[in-house]
Amino acid sequence: MAYSELIKDFSRIRDYMRQFYIYGFRTRDEFDDKSGRSYDNERRRLESWLGEYMSFHQDAGGKVVFLSVDSQEILHNPLYQAFKAKSFTANDIVLHFYLMDILEDHASCSVTEIVELMADQYGSVFSEPLELDESTIRKKLKEYEQIGLVKSEKQGRKLLFSKTKTDVDLTEWKDAIDFFSELEPLGVIGSYILDQTDDSRSFFHYKHHYILHALESEIMYVMLDSISRECTAHIRLFSRRKGKMMEYDIVPLKILISTQNGRSYVLGKNLGDGNYNLYRLDNIKEASCGNPAEDWEMLLKAGEEYLKYHWNTSAGRNAALEHLEMILNIEPWAGHILQRLEKEGKHGSVEPLGNHQYKYAVDVYDTGEMLPWIRTFIGRIVSLRCTNKVIEKQFYDDLEQMYAMYGGDDHVV
Amino acid sequence: MLFSEIYGNYFRTMEKVLKEAVQGTLTEQKLQEIVERQGFEESRLHIPKSLKTQTWPLIDETYNTPLHHKPEMALTILEKRWMKALLEDPKMKLFGLSGKGLEDVEPLFRRDTIVYFDQQRGGDPFEDASYIRHFSTILQAFREKRKLRIEFLSTSKGILHRWDCVPHRLEYSLKDDKFRLMTRRKKYVDTINLSTITACSLLEPYDAEDENFEIEKKQVVLELTDERNALERIMLHFSHLQKETKRLDRSRYRIRLTYNQQDETEILIRIMSFGPMVKVVEPESFVQLMRERLINQKQL
Repeated sequence: MAYSELIKDFSRIRDYMRQFYIYGFRTRDEFDDKSGRSYDNERRRLESWLGEYMSFHQDAGGKVVFLSVDSQEILHNPLYQAFKAKSFTANDIVLHFYLMDILEDHASCSVTEIVELMADQYGSVFSEPLELDESTIRKKLKEYEQIGLVKSEKQGRKLLFSKTKTDVDLTEWKDAIDFFSELEPLGVIGSYILDQTDDSRSFFHYKHHYILHALESEIMYVMLDSISRECTAHIRLFSRRKGKMMEYDIVPLKILISTQNGRSYVLGKNLGDGNYNLYRLDNIKEASCGNPAEDWEMLLKAGEEYLKYHWNTSAGRNAALEHLEMILNIEPWAGHILQRLEKEGKHGSVEPLGNHQYKYAVDVYDTGEMLPWIRTFIGRIVSLRCTNKVIEKQFYDDLEQMYAMYGGDDHVV
Repeated sequence: MLFSEIYGNYFRTMEKVLKEAVQGTLTEQKLQEIVERQGFEESRLHIPKSLKTQTWPLIDETYNTPLHHKPEMALTILEKRWMKALLEDPKMKLFGLSGKGLEDVEPLFRRDTIVYFDQQRGGDPFEDASYIRHFSTILQAFREKRKLRIEFLSTSKGILHRWDCVPHRLEYSLKDDKFRLMTRRKKYVDTINLSTITACSLLEPYDAEDENFEIEKKQVVLELTDERNALERIMLHFSHLQKETKRLDRSRYRIRLTYNQQDETEILIRIMSFGPMVKVVEPESFVQLMRERLINQKQL
C-alpha cells in the first residue's frame, strides 16, 4: 500500500513514538522486531507530524533519530498530533462537509431528501461528482448520531435528521480547556476542542509536565468508560515479569497517575485469580469494555483498602506491612526540608527529637519503593532503620558506592 | 470514539479552507498558506492535489464551493462529557464557569476515580476567594500584556514585599499542585508562589520587547548503569526535560539533560534519588554539589 502520513490504527506508531521519545538512542538496525521499511515509514510520519521536535545524531552504529521536547517550554502537548492523523476515504471527508451544509439549511431531513439535495446542490458543479448512495449516507448519519453531531426523530414513518447545536460558549471555556487539556486524563479531547476555536493564545506553562500519557489515551478511555459504567474490561498486556503477552478480565476501579514520571495505572480486581493489581497502561496493548460487574461498590471499597498502605504502586511480595524509621538532621534555617518531609511523606508521621533532629516513621507494603525518596535527603540522614533488613542494607551499600563514585583520587568523600 | 478523522488535522484544515471559499476569498495562494499553517508537513502535497483533481469535490477550479455555509461542527458527546468531568475539579473555580449547556451530560469520569498517588500534600487554595481574584488579575495581565503590582509574603522569612513587575510566565506543577508566577524586574527573574500573594493589581501595558526574554538554561551530563531497571526509570523520570542519550556499551549510557538554571537544587536531589545507578560526569561544578551532600552525609 502506498505511503500516507495518515494512519488507520494507533498501536504501531505508539511503540515507535515511545522509543524515539523515551529512549532515543537506537539506530534503524536496532529496531530489531520491525522491518526496515516499517521503520522508515513510521519515522517519516513522525517527521511530518512533529518535525520541529525531531533531532538526530550520528553514532558508530548509524543515524540515531530521537524526539526531544522541553515540556516546560511548550504550550501544547505535541504528541496529541498523532491522534489527529486518522486516515479516511474521499467519501468520509466530502460527505462530512455536504451533510453539515445541508443540515444547516434544512432543519430536519430524511435520508431520501438528503440524497436529492446533495445531487441538486453539489452534483452539477463537478464533472465527476462522488456517487453517494442512500445506504452510505444512512450509515454516516447513524455514525454521526452516535458521536453527537446529528440527532434524529421519528415523524410518522419518516426518520428525520437535524444538526446538533452546541449550547456551550467556547469563548468562555477557552482558557479552562487550554489549561486542563495539558493536565487531565484524555487531555487530547481538550486539544480537539481547542482546534475548533480561532483563539490560539495560551497563557499557561507547566512544570514537571509529563506528556507521554497521551499515547495511552485510547486505553485510558476504555478504562474510564468501564469505571463510569461499572463494567468489567478485557485487557491484553505485555507482562515484563513473564516476558510474554497475557490476557485478563478485570474490574477496573481507579486510575492511578504518577506526577513524578507520568506513568498511569489502572487498579483492577483480576477476575481470574481474584487478586487486586495495578496494571500499567503503557503495557496494555488492547482493551475493551465488558459486562456490568457484580458488587461494584463493594469491590471499590476493597480496592481502596488495598491501596491504603502503598507507597507508590507495589504491594510487596506478600502484602505484609514493613516499618521504616528515618532520623534527619534539620537545622532551624532549613524549614523547607521539614516542610518537604511533611508534604511528601504521605501517611507517615514526623516527630521532633530535639537537637535539630526529627524522626520520620511509616508503615508501607514495600519500603523498597521509598529508597529514591529517602536518597533525596542525603546529607541529613542520621540513621535509617527498617524491618526489611534487605532494604536497610541496600540503602547503606548504595551510600558506600556513592562515596566511592564521587570520592575522586584523593578520596574526599 | 477517541481516534476519529472528524477530530483530525485534515478535517480542521478543510474547515478553514471552506470558510474562505464560502465567503469567496479563497485563492491558490491562500489555500497553500492555510494548509502549511494548519496541516502536517506532507499535507501540502495531498490536500491541494485532492481538491485540484476533484478527488474531494468540495471546491471547483475557480476556488469556489457549492457549499452555502461556513462549516462548523458542534461539540461531540465525547467532548461534552470530558468538559463536564472538568467541572468537578477544584481548579475549575479559577475560571468562573457554570457548566451552562452541559446540564444533561454525564461526566466522562468522576474526580475521585483519579488518584495522583505521589502528589505533594498542601496544594494551593484554589477555591479561596482572594486566590481566585489574584489568579483572574494575573490572567488578565497576560491577556492585555500589562504590568502587575504584587504584594506577597516571602515563604522563608515571612516578610511582606511589594513589586511592580512584568509577568513572564504562569506555571502550574501537578507534582506540587501549585501555581507559580515568574516575573521580571529589569534583568532579574523572580518566581512567586501564587498562594503567597496578598494583593495584586494591573498597571500600564509593558513594551513588546519585554516579551523577548529567555530563561537561562544549564546542562548536566550523567552516566547511567542499567541495573534495577534504572534505564527506564531514569528516562521516564527526566522525560519532561530536553535530553539526548547515547549508548556507551551494553549497559552504560550517557545522558545530557537541559534544565532551567533556577531548578538546579531540585535537579540535584532528583539525580541523587537514583543512587549509584547514575553518576554526574559534567560539569565539575555539579559534581562538586553532589560531593558536598555526600561529605555532609558521611560526617553525620
